[in-house]
Amino acid sequence: MLSNLLVQLINGIALGSTYALIALGYTMVYGIILLINFAHGEIFMAGAFVGLMLVTVFKVHIIFAFLGAMLFCMIMGVIIEKIAYKPLRRSTRLAALISAIGVSIFLSNLANLVFGAKPTTFPPTEEILFKIQTYELIAGAQITNLQILTIVTSAVLMVCLQYFIKKSRIGKAMRATSQDYDTAALMGVNVNRIISYTFAIGSSLAAAGGVLVGIYFGVVKYNMGFMVGLKAFTAAVLGGIGSIPGAMFGGLLLGIGEMLAVALGLSSYRDAIAFGILILVLLIKPTGLFGTQIQKKV
Amino acid sequence: MGLLDGLLPAYYESILITVGIYIILALGLNLITGVTGQLNLGHAAYMCIGAYTSAIMSMHYGMPFIVAILAGGLLAAAFGVVIGYPTLRLTGDYLAICTLGFGEILKSVLYNVPAVGGAMGLAGIPPKTTLTIVFIVMIIVIISMVRVESSRFGRALVAIREDEIAAECNGINATKYKLQMFSLGCFIAGIGGALWAHKIMVLQPRDFGFLKSIEILNMVVLGGLGSIPGTILGATVLTSIPEILRFSSEYRMLLYGALLVAMMIFRPHGLMGGVSFNSIAKRGMRWLKPGDKPDDKPGQKGMGG
Amino acid sequence: MFKTKNLFLLVTFILIAALVAGCGGGQTADKEEGGGAADADVVKIGFLGDLTGDTAVYGQNTLDGMKMAADELNAAGGVLGKQVEIVVADHRYDKAEAANIVQKFINQDKVSAIVGDPTTGVTKATAPISNGAEVVQMSAGATGLGVVEIGPYVFRNTLLDTVGGPATIDYMINELGFTKVALITAVNSDFSVGLSKIFKDAITEMGGEIVIEESLQEGDTDFSGQISNIKNKSPEVIVYSGYYTEGGLLMKEARKQGMADIIMIGGDGLQAPTFWELGGDAVEGSISYCGFSPEQPTEETAKFIADMQAKFNKEADLFNAQGYDALKIICAAMETAGSADPKVFVEALAKTKEYPGVSGVTTFLENQEPVKSPVYLLQVKDQQWTLLKKVPVEM
Repeated sequence: MLSNLLVQLINGIALGSTYALIALGYTMVYGIILLINFAHGEIFMAGAFVGLMLVTVFKVHIIFAFLGAMLFCMIMGVIIEKIAYKPLRRSTRLAALISAIGVSIFLSNLANLVFGAKPTTFPPTEEILFKIQTYELIAGAQITNLQILTIVTSAVLMVCLQYFIKKSRIGKAMRATSQDYDTAALMGVNVNRIISYTFAIGSSLAAAGGVLVGIYFGVVKYNMGFMVGLKAFTAAVLGGIGSIPGAMFGGLLLGIGEMLAVALGLSSYRDAIAFGILILVLLIKPTGLFGTQIQKKV
Repeated sequence: MGLLDGLLPAYYESILITVGIYIILALGLNLITGVTGQLNLGHAAYMCIGAYTSAIMSMHYGMPFIVAILAGGLLAAAFGVVIGYPTLRLTGDYLAICTLGFGEILKSVLYNVPAVGGAMGLAGIPPKTTLTIVFIVMIIVIISMVRVESSRFGRALVAIREDEIAAECNGINATKYKLQMFSLGCFIAGIGGALWAHKIMVLQPRDFGFLKSIEILNMVVLGGLGSIPGTILGATVLTSIPEILRFSSEYRMLLYGALLVAMMIFRPHGLMGGVSFNSIAKRGMRWLKPGDKPDDKPGQKGMGG
Repeated sequence: MFKTKNLFLLVTFILIAALVAGCGGGQTADKEEGGGAADADVVKIGFLGDLTGDTAVYGQNTLDGMKMAADELNAAGGVLGKQVEIVVADHRYDKAEAANIVQKFINQDKVSAIVGDPTTGVTKATAPISNGAEVVQMSAGATGLGVVEIGPYVFRNTLLDTVGGPATIDYMINELGFTKVALITAVNSDFSVGLSKIFKDAITEMGGEIVIEESLQEGDTDFSGQISNIKNKSPEVIVYSGYYTEGGLLMKEARKQGMADIIMIGGDGLQAPTFWELGGDAVEGSISYCGFSPEQPTEETAKFIADMQAKFNKEADLFNAQGYDALKIICAAMETAGSADPKVFVEALAKTKEYPGVSGVTTFLENQEPVKSPVYLLQVKDQQWTLLKKVPVEM
């Protein structure tokens, strides 16, 4: 039982770190323009497909495919923002939300048209990366090298992001914009450029998540973005939307929570438990675990 | 009963019934999201409760249709109170994600309850929903929504949408009003669900997913948040568009997505944002008496940021 | 002022567009109405299925199979001397839309028959409509309960779980000697839930033991938790009642976690190349039942597989085959009856006996239930299904 719990914990961390990567995009966009970017899950899906195409059609090495997918989605994210969200910046938030939903429906149906509804498969791991090996940990628990790769890659990307946000000029401008959009604009921050950067970074992280998930599970599908997007968004809210450490923590918590539910034999209630955790956290701490209380001025 | 049935070809009758049910569902959501500004991403869950309840009522207990409909509405309203009481204190997107979460939880639970058939769902529901019944229910719902809009209750809800704190300062018990409003919206959703169940004859949990909630939300936003004629128009347009676009079966949903984006960019307040039946009546009067200069109603703000 | 006027213009425009589009459809239908279905120069068959929603993969594959059948028939002169036309409509897994579509097929397109939907749920929501209007509806895939009971115009072309399931379990327990079973169900798939029940009854009846029951959701990709649980109970075999996508992923995950020799046994839901495309070496040795054998294919099956490859550049799967057969069985009945009027050819259809289709040899019983005999047990070897055993079915 103990070893099973430990294994499930590791499974949960691996799954949770992919949630976290995607959740970062939601949280960054939300932090700056207060938009739930529903199309983010579809960018994750696009990233997986681009990675797959680069590996199978263009025979690119997996590392370059990974970077290529990130670059592609970076551009895609910026273009989507320019077309579908920028014209709506001064209108109601619901209008922007519906626009995001429209983009999401458009992209997933485009993928359905181009690639068909049949799941597309990633080449076997040993062909593109390495042979899967299992390592024994304490108490009979095991971890595979693929899991290690997923966790480490996500962790490295998240540390880079944190460093970028805290230290770089653009990162500082992002934080300023997210704290106070108008004041930041008045202080000479080019807000439009900052928003583009935000979409670029968030989308490339989603693409990274997409390729990682593609390698990890070996399957890419036109509607894969929907549920993962929903879960990642949940993770972002769980951690406190707008907070970057919150998104990482929320992703991990959600992944581990889901896997523990499976370990307890409740796998058919998996989604119910994921969303149940969310509602409980929100009821106890309405701004999420790491969220800051916003005092509404009268 | 049966005034309108059989007048039209069966295909149009079937579409009109669907349109009518969606108008009812959308009006319920318009009260919650449009009038009061509480973003609800789980409307289909209450529709689902109404559908299942009424189906069980008429299949297992042989209740008359009207009782089954009301039972569906009441249970949905009861769930609305239970869910709304703790969550309506949350604001904006946090409420939205909670309602979304509840919808997913309900679906997940229904998959695991053998009494309602799990994934196989309930089948063999008697097809009692006719165009006449849908039309009557729709008219009742429209009239009550118009009455609510112009009542003290309705004005309080608008005040809560515009500024909750200011509304409370003016002696409006926001929590109480929001809860009443939410359960009323859920009641209407439940009734819509009951009509749906007795048209489709089969219920499965996957029919009431997040996408169904989004579909209904799209109708409200497209028509114009808070506007009753707008909501009716939105439901009509969005239910017919997939039928109109049927000539391009494979590109249909692609176009639908693009249309949503284009609509929002060119008409972010929806087709009829800020238009109410009163303002339509006024406009009608103006056309009759061209001398009068009416005050142009400014576009309503919908859900403010 | 200008703005509000604009708005009304827009609204009016949309309404007019809607009306024009609606009436446009109506007028073309009216023209054909004069002649009636039987006299028109084409035989129309409706395709009811999901092309864009959750179950799009089954809909798209059924449609491809039907297109293939229609092209073949038309090249050979059509049915009753008329060309076969497939009227396509997508309901994106929305039952209300599916109901509207069936009304459109019947009242506007005046179809002679409807093929679809591949899922039991949508079939049950739509078949009462076509049965009431006396139009033949044949589902190519609905295996659940309560489908053909709807009425005399409702058929299905599929291998029933109640036939294949117990035969497979019998082989597993009595010939392979596997008794400790891990049973996995996809809780959101009615097909899987129904088949799991059949598997479970058969396993306990024949003396097997279910050491662990796990569940998953169709559409999920992460099954590491379920496999870890299963590994913990060390069963001898994994029985999965769902479709190929999750089946392949489950086995891959099992190998990843070091369950080196275990095999999967499942229903005909595993019958698609996707199973080994996803699972790779991990699905070698897996067993499922099916209505035809790719190793000893009939002439028709071999030709079908080759033609699918040529036309759509993909390997044929079960839904391709069932959609293809459904259309051809209907057209064969029309030829026999000498009419494309569903009220006439329904009798010939109900009497279909030993039709040599590509998805098996089909006979309709008196209650319209299909029987495909024999049932083939197949095993994956070198990324192909190979024949394990032929089980004759008693009718």
